[in-house]
Amino acid sequence: MRPLRALFVLAAISMCAAASIETNEIKIIANPDVGASEISRDELNRIFLMTKTSLQGTSHVEPVLETAGRVHKLFLKEYIGRTDVALMTYYRSLVFTGRASIPKAFVSDSELIEYVAKTKGAIGYVSANANTAGVKTLKVK
Amino acid sequence: MYSIVKSVLAIVVVSIGTRTLRAQFTEFKVEGRPVQIHGFASQGFALSDGNNYLTMKTSAGSFLFTDFGVNISAQLTGKFRVGAQLYDRNIGNLGKWHPELDWASGDYKFNDWLGLRAGKVKTVLGLYNDTQDMEFLHTWAILPQSMYPLDLRSATIAHVGADFYGDISLRRLGSLSYTAYVGFQPTDRYGGWFYGFKEYGINLTRLNGRLEGGDLRWKTPLQGLLAGASYLNQDLHAQATVRSRSYGVSSTHDQTSQFYVQYVRDRLRLDGEYRRNLLDLALFLLDSRSFYGSASYRVSKRLELGTYYSRFYLDLRAGGSGPSSHIFEKVATARLDLTSHWDLKVEGHFMHGYAASNAFRGFYPQDNPQGLKPETNLLVIRTGIQF
Repeated sequence: MRPLRALFVLAAISMCAAASIETNEIKIIANPDVGASEISRDELNRIFLMTKTSLQGTSHVEPVLETAGRVHKLFLKEYIGRTDVALMTYYRSLVFTGRASIPKAFVSDSELIEYVAKTKGAIGYVSANANTAGVKTLKVK
Repeated sequence: MYSIVKSVLAIVVVSIGTRTLRAQFTEFKVEGRPVQIHGFASQGFALSDGNNYLTMKTSAGSFLFTDFGVNISAQLTGKFRVGAQLYDRNIGNLGKWHPELDWASGDYKFNDWLGLRAGKVKTVLGLYNDTQDMEFLHTWAILPQSMYPLDLRSATIAHVGADFYGDISLRRLGSLSYTAYVGFQPTDRYGGWFYGFKEYGINLTRLNGRLEGGDLRWKTPLQGLLAGASYLNQDLHAQATVRSRSYGVSSTHDQTSQFYVQYVRDRLRLDGEYRRNLLDLALFLLDSRSFYGSASYRVSKRLELGTYYSRFYLDLRAGGSGPSSHIFEKVATARLDLTSHWDLKVEGHFMHGYAASNAFRGFYPQDNPQGLKPETNLLVIRTGIQF
């Protein structure tokens, strides 16, 4: 029984470590105009699901996505809990009922950073080693 | 005139769709403000044994199963957006290519927990009432008809009025989303009620009325689990001519309560809904119950499989167990996403019952002059594009 319990604990630790490694590959960035320096997982989820449009003193925030790639998939898995297809289906349900527009999406970190840097309230995600000059990084709490 | 409008709309949708099929949507700026255009179109084929269904001659195979829509919207400020959508359909003898304003609204969001939407607004009722026309959003070619009947769509699809809505974080307990609305249900001259009553020599001229209702949904702390409830109360007014004489009646009750639960995890989606409708309108005294359970699984980027079991009881108070008292339906679907903007569905329906010839629930006596049979098996193939 003890070896089985130890094995279980080891497996749990490994899973947590893997998740931690994955989220360390992503940086959450925002336009310098955004007042917050950190953001909760719940806030990030609600912003990208368009149910939250303000953040800690910033009256209007705009989610910005990547179109594909490892960082995009990790972000969706870790913070949104939906696949890319499911998220697009969700956005379309908002568009075709008049509740929102489809957020902007970019093919590369550099294009996304360029847009976030020039757009007030924009919040996006890039790979951890991307050059994020011109934007601020938000710590996920 | 309607055929000209229909042709223009179809050309607009197809030409914009063709040009922008690789892009997610068409966006341009007007005085610096982004404006988006989106659209969709679908074409279906239905073939049945047993009975003709949904006013189509499905026993011989029918392609009279087309719809399309186009919308335009703009975020004018960070808090205020406007938009409108046109919709047109021809399903057997329903719609008949008469385009309608699907929704047109101004939406002001004061903050995360309070927003106001006014104009013609899609009604939030259950999981899919407001999106039932958008086949591309769903696994199914036809949504569970016990809950979202194609022929009686106009009874709940939208209202002219105002919605208050918002989202409230419960922190570790998830979040609550609410919608509360009041408005007016417009008359739909090309829906199932108007078509069905004709068989009895009753020419409806008006079927509309005031409504109010709400929806509350809880996004639970368990990721992917959602539960909710909706309520809709309507004051229906009907006017009709019978043998050149005009009559009017009003409902004393038309109340709908709906409860739902949804679980989405990775590639799996499970839905369950239950609805009760109490109707007291002249000769119609009904306590209808509907429920369904569904499961769908995305096998790959291109393929999704699903199944649902649906039950509709026309009037639980009346009792009865024969085919005129209910419609039970088993469905299996394969959805192929040929591209990210084009889908194809193949679906089988296995139905028992027709819920009475005056229920206007898919089975109409004028479409089945030989009499209604207890079993109907239906094949539906439907393809759609969206941009």
